[in-house]
Amino acid sequence: MTLDEVRARMKAAGIEIAENRLELVRRLLTDALAPIHVLDSRAARTLEPAVMFDAIRSAEPRQDDDGE
Amino acid sequence: MASDDLAFATIAEIAARYRRRALSPVELTRALLGRIERLDPTLHAFVTVTAERALADARRAEAALRRDADGNPLLGIPVAYKDIYATRGIRTTAGSAVLADWVPEDDATCVTRLQRAGCVMLGKVITHEFAFGLQFPGHRFQPARNPWNLEHMPGGSSSGSAAALAAGLAHGALGSDTGGSIRGPAAFCNIVGLKPTYGRVSRAGVITLSWTLDHTGPMARTVEDCAVLLQALAGHDPADSASSREPVADYVVPLGQGIRGLRVGVPRAYFFEGVDAEVEKAFEEALATLRDLGATVTDVEIPSIQTSWAFLAILMAEAFAYHERDVRGHPELYGDVLRERLLAGGLILGSEYVQAQRLRSRLQAEMLDVLRRTDVLVTPTTPKPAPTFAAVWDPSFGFPKSNMAPFNMTGLPALAVPCGVSAQGLPLSLQIAGRPFDESTVLRLGHAYEQTTEWHGRRPRI
Repeated sequence: MTLDEVRARMKAAGIEIAENRLELVRRLLTDALAPIHVLDSRAARTLEPAVMFDAIRSAEPRQDDDGE
Repeated sequence: MASDDLAFATIAEIAARYRRRALSPVELTRALLGRIERLDPTLHAFVTVTAERALADARRAEAALRRDADGNPLLGIPVAYKDIYATRGIRTTAGSAVLADWVPEDDATCVTRLQRAGCVMLGKVITHEFAFGLQFPGHRFQPARNPWNLEHMPGGSSSGSAAALAAGLAHGALGSDTGGSIRGPAAFCNIVGLKPTYGRVSRAGVITLSWTLDHTGPMARTVEDCAVLLQALAGHDPADSASSREPVADYVVPLGQGIRGLRVGVPRAYFFEGVDAEVEKAFEEALATLRDLGATVTDVEIPSIQTSWAFLAILMAEAFAYHERDVRGHPELYGDVLRERLLAGGLILGSEYVQAQRLRSRLQAEMLDVLRRTDVLVTPTTPKPAPTFAAVWDPSFGFPKSNMAPFNMTGLPALAVPCGVSAQGLPLSLQIAGRPFDESTVLRLGHAYEQTTEWHGRRPRI
């Protein structure tokens, strides 16, 4: 990620960061996003972040709820 | 027992002395308050010392012990709470100017559970700012110092918890761990820290850093003490939406069962990048000890382990979501480092956050697959011993890659146990991770290792 890309993201997000701290932010984002940017999303086995549910069996509170 | 020996006694030893009437909770609490008064002006582990509350708790415990000498093992045990755990009527700062005068109306569930078990609240211990920043010179709150060398960090963010335990200022503490904040300070301060399985211990009333990565857990000077604390903390809490209904195991009784036949996996990739030679040597010696104890040790592969650092994208995006209103409205109330880390989270795209969560699902599936063939995974807790304050205060320090974060990504239980000492006299640590909700096996292996070695018994000269 370049400094110009950081500035473009700041503009889009409405976020201000002091110019003399941008290099630190650039490095932080580069490290955080490196594994994501090498991921070929379509080639990866389907991985869906999804909500999972257990069937609701009763409206009664469970006995192990301690009510704290 | 000499006062230093009392300060460093285990929870089990203290409980036994109480029951023999060889020691009283008020006597021990007074001794620790005196020790805090003497040593904490140097260590800065405590933000708030609750002396009156501690003595009131101790008197109550003393009365309870008189009524029932066989009661709870935590009765009358002095503990300290990381200052992101809400405490009713007691200032809870999160190490931040934003909450410098916040007095909660309720206790965090973990605090309620330890107090119900009879613990004595000594006070609130410092955290890195909102468990994510750093305390720089001039910060509203002073950073805790490492009792092993005051020029070195005690780790973060549960810095006060670890420093207090290492200096013999408390017998147990609570920490929180989003990317290693229980285990890192434990490693740097020669104590034991457990990040339980995600959902095992309640986070209700604990200030959020990252909803899907935050864990709460115990810190102590021995594995057994951690197990005793976990026994009181674990269990479903309807106030925490991620709290699990998985039955709570017995964490204490199985500790002595040994580890003969246990299968230990060693993931070499990722966890040994940038590791100091002395850390690697201590780790290999720990593996030899585990073999001597009857465990089988084999190398294992986690194919996607290098994607673990997508952790940082999840952490930053979620932390920004939590802090957005305050950091946009009052940026001056945040320290420079924290403010930049939070604002950087606001620059992560929605699609990048989703991809990070997909990588996380793959990593979790692979780790669970490896844990079908092994019982635990072991790694060095940190690749290096505690850095100096001068090093971390350098603007180029950045956010170091972590051996602990993969277990926040996957939610697996992970324990840090002392395993050596560096040439500079700084502690080294072994990380033991296990299957979901199998804290018992993780603790059993840690206890077996600890009982065969003497690292945990070392005390700093303060």
